[in-house]
Amino acid sequence: MSVVQEREYDYVEGAAAGAVRGVPPVIAPGHTFETVNDKISGVILTKRTPIGWFLGFAIAFAFLMLLNLTIGKLLMEGIGIWGNNVPVGWAFDIINFVWWIGIGHAGTLISAILLLFRQQWRTSINRFAEAMTLFAVACAAMFPLLHTGRPWLAAYWLFPYPNTMGLWPQFRSPLIWDVFAVSTYGTVSALFWFTGLVPDMATLRDRAQSKAGRIIFGMLSLGWRGSARHWQRYEMAYLLLAGISTPLVLSVHTIVSFDFAVSVLPGWHATIFPPYFVAGAIYSGFAMVLTLAVPLRKFYGLEDFITMRHIHNMTKVMLVTGMIVAYGYANEAFFAWYSANPYEGYMMLNRMTGPYAPFYWSLIAINAAMIQLFWFRKVRNNIPLLFVLSLLVNVGMWLERFIIIVTSLHRDFLPSSWDMYAPTRWDFAMFAGTIGLFLSLFFLFIRFLPALAMFEMRTIVPEAKLQPEHHG
Amino acid sequence: MADMTHTPPADIDLYRSRALKIGGVGLLACAIGFVVDRDHFFRSWLIAYLLFLAIALGSMGLMMIQHLSGGAWGVFRRIFEASSRTLPLLAVLFLPVVLGMHSLYPWTHPDHVAEDEILRHKAAYLNVGFFLVRALIYFAGWILITWTLTKWSRQQDEGDMSVNIRLQYLSGGGLVFYTFAATFAAIDWIMSINPHWYSTLFGFLFVGGHGLAALAFTIIVSTYLAQHEPMSGVLKPHHFQDLGKLSLAFVMLWAYFNFSQYLLVYAANLVEEVPYFIARTSHGWQYVALLLVVFHFAVPFFLLLSRDNKRNPYRLVWIAVALLVMRYIDLFMLVTPEFASTGENLHLLTGEHASSLFVHWTDLAAPLAIGGVWSWMFLTQLAQRPVMAVSDPYLREALESSGGH
Repeated sequence: MSVVQEREYDYVEGAAAGAVRGVPPVIAPGHTFETVNDKISGVILTKRTPIGWFLGFAIAFAFLMLLNLTIGKLLMEGIGIWGNNVPVGWAFDIINFVWWIGIGHAGTLISAILLLFRQQWRTSINRFAEAMTLFAVACAAMFPLLHTGRPWLAAYWLFPYPNTMGLWPQFRSPLIWDVFAVSTYGTVSALFWFTGLVPDMATLRDRAQSKAGRIIFGMLSLGWRGSARHWQRYEMAYLLLAGISTPLVLSVHTIVSFDFAVSVLPGWHATIFPPYFVAGAIYSGFAMVLTLAVPLRKFYGLEDFITMRHIHNMTKVMLVTGMIVAYGYANEAFFAWYSANPYEGYMMLNRMTGPYAPFYWSLIAINAAMIQLFWFRKVRNNIPLLFVLSLLVNVGMWLERFIIIVTSLHRDFLPSSWDMYAPTRWDFAMFAGTIGLFLSLFFLFIRFLPALAMFEMRTIVPEAKLQPEHHG
Repeated sequence: MADMTHTPPADIDLYRSRALKIGGVGLLACAIGFVVDRDHFFRSWLIAYLLFLAIALGSMGLMMIQHLSGGAWGVFRRIFEASSRTLPLLAVLFLPVVLGMHSLYPWTHPDHVAEDEILRHKAAYLNVGFFLVRALIYFAGWILITWTLTKWSRQQDEGDMSVNIRLQYLSGGGLVFYTFAATFAAIDWIMSINPHWYSTLFGFLFVGGHGLAALAFTIIVSTYLAQHEPMSGVLKPHHFQDLGKLSLAFVMLWAYFNFSQYLLVYAANLVEEVPYFIARTSHGWQYVALLLVVFHFAVPFFLLLSRDNKRNPYRLVWIAVALLVMRYIDLFMLVTPEFASTGENLHLLTGEHASSLFVHWTDLAAPLAIGGVWSWMFLTQLAQRPVMAVSDPYLREALESSGGH
């Protein structure tokens, strides 16, 4: 009896904070409300922009111009400038679409699901992860839209005008569901992001030195005064938006997976696709958050706010979701055999030994083998290594989409129509261009908006925990 | 905390002996079923067996997730442990399935395999020897994981904190093993009843069912424990709310998996896949399907959205009981439409056959038998240890957090 009591005492002292297990804190010790505000708003309200920012932005912007050039060329000449051919009618356009949409999912998961689960560690990464979601959705939407060749006519296929012709829009096709899924996703993400920004806009308005700053941030803060009523309504709105966003984490990539899985193509038609795509999306999204967080915390000295705790947790999420993806690969391979369906069997054989086999094995090496490194605390503590691994995960998830899409199409049911697919320079230009768009937006975001949620960070400093009857 | 000894409630022995009596009656009925209606007995036994296996394996999974994630649900750890420590009994209760292989699984008939090209292809996997070896591997792995984790958990009670990190490592590896083993077990024990059919999502469906069954069971046991010292001072409405929320998540997951599977198979309409759903949406089975949609998803979904229903254990417990019943009906629906009302596996009959809705009296006897004996084993395990893992590193958090912020 006394033994139990004694041990409980120990735990009151140390373990509740996780000290026994060596878990780092969500914010480095020593911070107050003031230091949090200074540190985060200082990045925006300064007159001096670091030279590194200009350098990075210039490179990103150059790629954005390449995107404009590519789009111009595409609209002038048509999608013939891409490598798509007859058996491979879908290629870089949908690969990159799925890749970008997947990346966005981490932002939604962090902002919505982790909020509902009361996970404190989301606080310092949610803002820029949400921004990442928006920018990724913008990049993603570009591909299917431009694949229509004449996007200004796309309304004809996509918008739900009365379906009197019985042909377009085709509500039985998941492609049209995609339009609704992605546009809902983009809208809700934008609302969620902006709602979260409002109290911080007010802080920036109050701290801004320049008149322009006061006016712009003043408008964006929507008259926020920080009264109890404002906060009460804000909390309500934020929770509601979190509730609305939560199903979107699952639904968007589920519908993306339906684009493939409702077909009868071997390698596409698999019932496991919905959960497997969702897991892959979160996996690649967290890799991208890590890819962005590592340089961000380094160059802006945010190590106190984005701590090892965040890095560890993100790595663990990648390990779990990556293992689900690896399970998907094993599952596909087993069922290709177990189904006793010769087409399924050939599809898997073609992936493993066909002309695109090096890509298949690279993706297995990354998404099934390499992620096992994340089991080790040593790896999770090694930030340069994690940065490289997170980039590799992005590559691996891109290869996964390439393999799924191209290997199933290029050798279909009729051997006489088999062909190889190779992307053209314009395919690459457009892909690189969207990366340029993404990074340009991200550079502008970290320069002009608070990349970390100041008011939420203020809730996790020790000062916020002081309560009247707090025992000594 | 009211009582530091954390001894289980005194009336647990009463429930143990009642469970054993019910189990005894059920076993007797099953013995009669074995003699008079062997095919039906084996089918019913398999279904009931899968339900209680789901509770045990789901508890094992939740226990491992709790070790990895920490958090407020450490107060339920002893329930997960006692429930997963029934696995050796479940390994014994698997023997009737082995005995009944011939009537359950068409691929065990060499003459049938010989004239079926697909089954000849699958014979490398679907053969009696390998089936038994695999079952042995699953049970050995699951029991080994459970025994080691619960042993270390006991050492943690006694103050040995060095086990904490080991608990985490084994839980990580254990979850990987559990998921893969459960996937193959689902193929072996359920999917291969219809040996031509396949669905890559099936493993997830099986594992998701484990989670839901284990959570519902945990709610029931927690409600019982919360009425007695010492847990009456520990279990607060927010603990039940957490269990309710997780149940809601698993109810939605169940609907999500099933809807995805149904939509994809329906839309593709392939001859090798769609018969599975045709069988389950015709000849009376469509009513069971509708029952599942309404009472396995819609009704519990709306009931569990309510905060009041989740925080009040006396309401939540009825939702949990209903969910366990629905789990049973769901498993019934996975298995039974592949059998004729005479009890034979449809795929062994020559010519065109369809199953019409039927229920046999063994479908009542088998859950009583397995449920009774299993509950006795569970309560025995629960009584052997303090009902709370007193050294859980997150215990303070678990006892304090109000869950409201």
